[in-house]
Amino acid sequence: MQKTKFPAVVATFLVCYAFWVLLTWSFKAQELAVGAGVSFLVALFAARFFIHEDAGWLFNPARFLKCIGYWLVIFPGELIKANLNMAKICFGGCTNINPGIVKVPTAMKSDYGLAAVSNSITLTPGTITMETAEDENGQNYLYVHWIDVKETDPEKAGEAIKGTMEKALKEVWQ
Amino acid sequence: MRIVIDIFLVIGLYFALAGTIGIIKMPDVFSRMQASTCVATLGMLCIAIAGILYAAFYMHNAGAAIKIAVIGLMVMVTNPIGSHVLARGAYKAGIRPEQKMEVDELGRDFDE
Amino acid sequence: MTDLMIIAVCFAVLAAMNLYRLAKGPTAADRMVAGDAMDNLICCVLILFSLFSGRGIYLDIALLSALFGIVDTILVGRYLEKGRGL
Repeated sequence: MQKTKFPAVVATFLVCYAFWVLLTWSFKAQELAVGAGVSFLVALFAARFFIHEDAGWLFNPARFLKCIGYWLVIFPGELIKANLNMAKICFGGCTNINPGIVKVPTAMKSDYGLAAVSNSITLTPGTITMETAEDENGQNYLYVHWIDVKETDPEKAGEAIKGTMEKALKEVWQ
Repeated sequence: MRIVIDIFLVIGLYFALAGTIGIIKMPDVFSRMQASTCVATLGMLCIAIAGILYAAFYMHNAGAAIKIAVIGLMVMVTNPIGSHVLARGAYKAGIRPEQKMEVDELGRDFDE
Repeated sequence: MTDLMIIAVCFAVLAAMNLYRLAKGPTAADRMVAGDAMDNLICCVLILFSLFSGRGIYLDIALLSALFGIVDTILVGRYLEKGRGL
């Protein structure tokens, strides 16, 4: 458990306040004041769970644009491809499946990068991240349940599961 | 614009139907979980896009459009976390599929 | 205007089809998967019905339904993982 730092509190406060304004969507003075008070209280107690590393990483414009480009362009393409594949399996009677759990290495180091990669894998239908592990050299591994196992070799399976997604995410998080 | 909204609604219904058939007919727990991701991603997302377009262009109500966008964003952010926790819990609780899996490296590394 | 209601009724029928797996499922995880899918489908139904009737209160109910759906999924997952005692 780490101590609460001031930049982490500010970043959490901004996220909470943006969420409050988006939910209420009214700009009277008293509602804005109540929102500021509530989100400052929440930020004071929740900042140490929410921010683990550098608090201001999103305020770099180039990194922010790359992040937006990933979530709006590259990821929906993968999502639609995997969804069509899954719908074909489901309407075909659910018989030609070949499930298994494979262990793939990932190049991500930080917590946020690992979370982004595993959430992207889970959000595409057909693959679910089940567990993460780390060996003694600092290399991170993901255990992925895959509904149609084509490769059992770790490198090739990792390329087939998360090839384009991880290449794009490596430029945002390291 | 009306036709675009209808197309999004029908695409969402198609993927939701695919996910529901998958949940009913798949043979084991983890495959059912894969099918239920289909409902939550493209089914939910297409309905949210159609709702945003309808609220913005027919009702002229910016608050409703932004609230629907927040709902879609929340579901997209929180759904993989719940799916991941449920899959790991089911595996650790000893639930295994009936037919043999192709490879099972999690069981090989953790069961011994 | 009517097509929103037609699609909403189709989604409600899909949510009722998930009740089969919720009643039959052999393990607790099966039931929870069906319950999670039902939460998402009912959230869609509430969005469409809010647009049909023009009342904003249904959107709040949809948001709460989605959020509490994820909370009980995580609760059942943690319970299965740790045995008794969360």
